[in-house]
Amino acid sequence: MVADRPPFEDLYREFMRRIYAYVRAQVTSSADAEDITAQVFMNAYHAYGRFEPRNTTPAAWLFRIARNATLDHFRAHGRRERLRRSIEQQPVAEVDPAGVAEERIQYRALLAYVAKLPERQRDAISLRHSGLSFEEVGGLMSCSEDAAKMLYHRALKALRESVQEGMV
Amino acid sequence: MSDPEDSELQALQRQLDDAFQTTRPRAGFEDDLWSRMQARRPLWVQVRDFFAGLLASVRRVPAAPAAAVAVVLVLAIGVGILSLRGPGGGGAGSTATSRDSGTAPLAGGAAASGGGPKTPSKLTGPLPTPALTQAAPSPNLPTRTINGAGYAASYSLYFGPTTLTWGGQLDVTATTLPVYRFQEPTRADADRFAASIGAAPAPNLPREGLGVYSGPNFVVVVSGSTFQPPLEPTFRLTDTTPNGGTDPVGVAFLYLVRHGLRPTWNYQIETQQSIDSKSIRVTFLRLFDLGTQGQANLIDSVGSAYGIEVDLSGGQTRAVAYGALPLNLDAGTYPIITADQAIHSALAQSAPAGSGAPAVRLTGAELVYILVPAGDHSYYEPAFLFSGLFTVEGTTYVKRVLVPAVAA
Repeated sequence: MVADRPPFEDLYREFMRRIYAYVRAQVTSSADAEDITAQVFMNAYHAYGRFEPRNTTPAAWLFRIARNATLDHFRAHGRRERLRRSIEQQPVAEVDPAGVAEERIQYRALLAYVAKLPERQRDAISLRHSGLSFEEVGGLMSCSEDAAKMLYHRALKALRESVQEGMV
Repeated sequence: MSDPEDSELQALQRQLDDAFQTTRPRAGFEDDLWSRMQARRPLWVQVRDFFAGLLASVRRVPAAPAAAVAVVLVLAIGVGILSLRGPGGGGAGSTATSRDSGTAPLAGGAAASGGGPKTPSKLTGPLPTPALTQAAPSPNLPTRTINGAGYAASYSLYFGPTTLTWGGQLDVTATTLPVYRFQEPTRADADRFAASIGAAPAPNLPREGLGVYSGPNFVVVVSGSTFQPPLEPTFRLTDTTPNGGTDPVGVAFLYLVRHGLRPTWNYQIETQQSIDSKSIRVTFLRLFDLGTQGQANLIDSVGSAYGIEVDLSGGQTRAVAYGALPLNLDAGTYPIITADQAIHSALAQSAPAGSGAPAVRLTGAELVYILVPAGDHSYYEPAFLFSGLFTVEGTTYVKRVLVPAVAA
């Protein structure tokens, strides 16, 4: 029923930062994250008339769009650039205001390690810590809730090893 | 999983929670993106949303008489049609300035940024109060170092308390004056402005402000408003193309014309030699049209007139232009105070007699316009600028006093 659909602005205000953080953990560049986040909400805005709240949660719906937009970004920019960034210890150097602002934010390095994980592991951690349930993570990643849990825990261990190696 | 390993992973999970929760886009991005999304709605969606919001607001007031609702509906329809015309659409507050520089006015509103609309009517409601900076922002005031070169002034501004008397003449025939408002431009607006002057995003240059762009032999940086000191959205264009010519005013004017940045408003021209004599600044001081009352300077937060500056250096082969972006302005007419009320308000800013503050006789007064930032939008408001000279130990100072012109 259409009446169950909240105003889009409510969704935007509730999820914009979460979507940005999710995207930011994927791409390491704040400029790219902004561009992709903008694309996510532009797409969502135009598709909102087709959103059916009875079939999925707003979070799952928006993160599906975000996930697709991020994958599209990687396809468009090619894996070469992504790999180049991935093998660097630090995120791409930035002197833009967005980058400067983010210098104040803690845990940036941790997100850089997340960005270097294999794609499915990175996705599992990013979706889970963006506030999705394991059921929603599994739904987005086309696997069961239990499989999502296992994938997440494997990703968590891989991340811990990556961080420890980086600290040596 | 062993206990230590378990606790390590739990700690890592907490760190991840913190990392994701504290990761934020730059300040302003959220509202910027929302504005872009709203602007890209199809017209029929804007109309639909407008009436949906209107009907919702009517439903929230169940006690409203039916006739009143009908009146509100008619008025709102009128406002809605005006507000839907969008940038450059020319609403009731639009002006038909003939000084079209070719640049794209930015960020909402219905009026071009000329000397002032003929029949402004769109802007209504309370206004923020304009004021001058109360403390010297720099020991060399009014030297300004926006472009890195210092330009000396023949006097010093005094920001401390003074005891004030009035010894001038102030004639005000106008009873109302226009107030202008603009919305803060977005990155998309900056892109549009850059495109209008033949520049494209320059991804290889460090990002700055709303955007950095390049064109043939020039780079332009577009920045949003600043609050300390108050400054409207600006462009800074640097060009290394030899300009030639010996008349700095002519060179500066042609420079602006060539880049599509010729002022779209009335102006006075002022030239200054830099302290080191290596550059010349040509300033196109912005004027606001007051109708029968003449024209008024736009002043900055210390009361000095400003506009678009062109710094010429290297034998006028290198130029930097700095000024406000061409902005769409909403406008509204507001009643203003009388001359007597203005003088009374100016003297009310006097320090108490016997306080030891310097005594200043205010002898000058003029109507001016001043920028008043107010969040995601800013105003150009009329004000009375009083001034008087006084000398202490051989140094002559200028005391300036600002009185808002719009009646409370």
